[in-house]
Amino acid sequence: MTAVSKHVVVIGGGVTGAATAYDLSLRGFRVTLLERGSIGAGTSGRTHGLLHSGCRYVADTEVARECYLENQTLRRIAPFLFEKNGGLFVAITEDDLAYKDFFLKKCGEAGIPVEEVEPAVALKMEPNLNPKLKAAVLVPDGTFDPLKVILSFLASAKKYGAVVKPYNEVVGFRVEGGEVRAVRVLDKVSLREYELEADFFVNATGAWANKVASLAGLHVPVKPSPGVMVALDGRIGNRVFNRLNKPGDGDIIIHQRGTSVIGTTSWIVEDPDGVSIPKEHVELMIKRGSEIAPVVSRMRVKAVYVSSRPLVGQAAQTGREVSRSFAIIDHSREGVGNMLSIIGGKFVTARLMAEKMGDAVCERLGVSVPSRTAELPLAPYWLYFS
Amino acid sequence: MKVRLIVRRWKQGWTRPRYDVFDVEADPEESVLDLIERVSLSTDRTLVFEHACHHGACGACGMIINGVERLACVTKVGEAARKGLLLVEPLRGFEVISDLAVDKSRMFSKYPAETQTLEPVAASLEKLYDCVECGVCYSACPIANTYGEYLGPSVLALAYHRALSDGVVPGSVAGSGGVWACHAAFDCSEKCPVGFKPGEKIMKLRRLLLGGRVKVS
Repeated sequence: MTAVSKHVVVIGGGVTGAATAYDLSLRGFRVTLLERGSIGAGTSGRTHGLLHSGCRYVADTEVARECYLENQTLRRIAPFLFEKNGGLFVAITEDDLAYKDFFLKKCGEAGIPVEEVEPAVALKMEPNLNPKLKAAVLVPDGTFDPLKVILSFLASAKKYGAVVKPYNEVVGFRVEGGEVRAVRVLDKVSLREYELEADFFVNATGAWANKVASLAGLHVPVKPSPGVMVALDGRIGNRVFNRLNKPGDGDIIIHQRGTSVIGTTSWIVEDPDGVSIPKEHVELMIKRGSEIAPVVSRMRVKAVYVSSRPLVGQAAQTGREVSRSFAIIDHSREGVGNMLSIIGGKFVTARLMAEKMGDAVCERLGVSVPSRTAELPLAPYWLYFS
Repeated sequence: MKVRLIVRRWKQGWTRPRYDVFDVEADPEESVLDLIERVSLSTDRTLVFEHACHHGACGACGMIINGVERLACVTKVGEAARKGLLLVEPLRGFEVISDLAVDKSRMFSKYPAETQTLEPVAASLEKLYDCVECGVCYSACPIANTYGEYLGPSVLALAYHRALSDGVVPGSVAGSGGVWACHAAFDCSEKCPVGFKPGEKIMKLRRLLLGGRVKVS
């Protein structure tokens, strides 16, 4: 059986779904991607846009290394999408400073090239940093416009024949004989409902993965974990500002285009739809952000927004302890053999997640074609519109 | 505050648009986009609109709010509403896909084939152009609205930056659908949500061309 004869439906038009559609179409599958809203309208479009160096996750060497390698891969396949200005981890308090040796050691273990610079040097590079900073480490962070990255994956998928359908919401599944035969779809452009048959189904709806899977009577152990971000009306630096300490609330400021964004918080919700923004989180972001860069307290807030991470549920309570790595959920244990769900991960690891999902789909369908997404350049986002 | 949200609706196959009314409770500090999203989640899941970043960086949610082109994500309900009324319509100058979503291929298809979207800031730094590619300037521009061949304000402004860095512009930029089609209304610059100043850049590009300081390829 060749890949070309198999039709795969990918549900979810965020970065994971887009990268999966690209990976699968590049392997020769016939791919249709369905997204209930516009492209990137869920979690992916609302990320803060940090091209992680992995340093934020050094407590888990494997996750940090994975992040750094994907950072390097993305820079290689799509240099035009990223502001590759690097980032700085800065110690403000004695407690931050006490974390430094551990941080440097773990970056070394993860293979991430970092460089400690004198506080005066860091302040010359980034004059808006807190003048009282006690230590600074340069890391290979970058920033991006999330929507344009997603559109580039989709433009690349379309180049290899994928059909991309935003505003097409999956409203049901037809399950027969231990397989999903088709999805029922509401097309919001024509107000028409239709059925779409396929050989295989990938649920890449992230924080919504359980909501979608439950339409087929299946379960995905995802813990939607929202985080609040505060966008300032102006750009206060070039390199990403990180607090040199364990990941916590309000410990990062990311600059992209004409804005700087302070992030973030973390809690767990049942339903990722209609999450409201706790006002105290906004105040906390501004307070903590001002510790890194005092100018924050004098800036006008341009926008406050919230997006829900698709964390892999374990026995976690607050969201921070949950593994940041990703998981592919096999629904054959629940009696459906041709559907996989993917949750967890980070925006930066989407290409890798898609590669692993592509491998899993190939294995299921008895197809042997390797992933090539790490080698080929991505198509620019504007070709999505052609 | 009580808000009457009026949305221009259009679906494939309809002969004319219609206006739907949603009476909702809103926080004056929340964005028009958050309000529209809430209505779509709670009241009408078929409401089609484009959005992604929710903080004015991606340009997806350009629309006409009470007659003015805005990014809905950085427009507060309390500031935009007039006597509790919020009328939202799709951008002009593009074909409507459905409801508030428009097809921006008119703008993106005019991009050069090679991939250059970063501008160098200093020798060691780079940054994406401030233009968020929202299409607001096309909707605001009297020429883009009436002359389909016009390249459009944002594309010409980006061409100006290319002219500065490369010293050359494509023939279409210097042609009849290029900088000379602009009537200098400056509505693009007035409505631009990020201050990219397309109008001024088109004028500067004209001067570069007239002075022979930029080649035409």
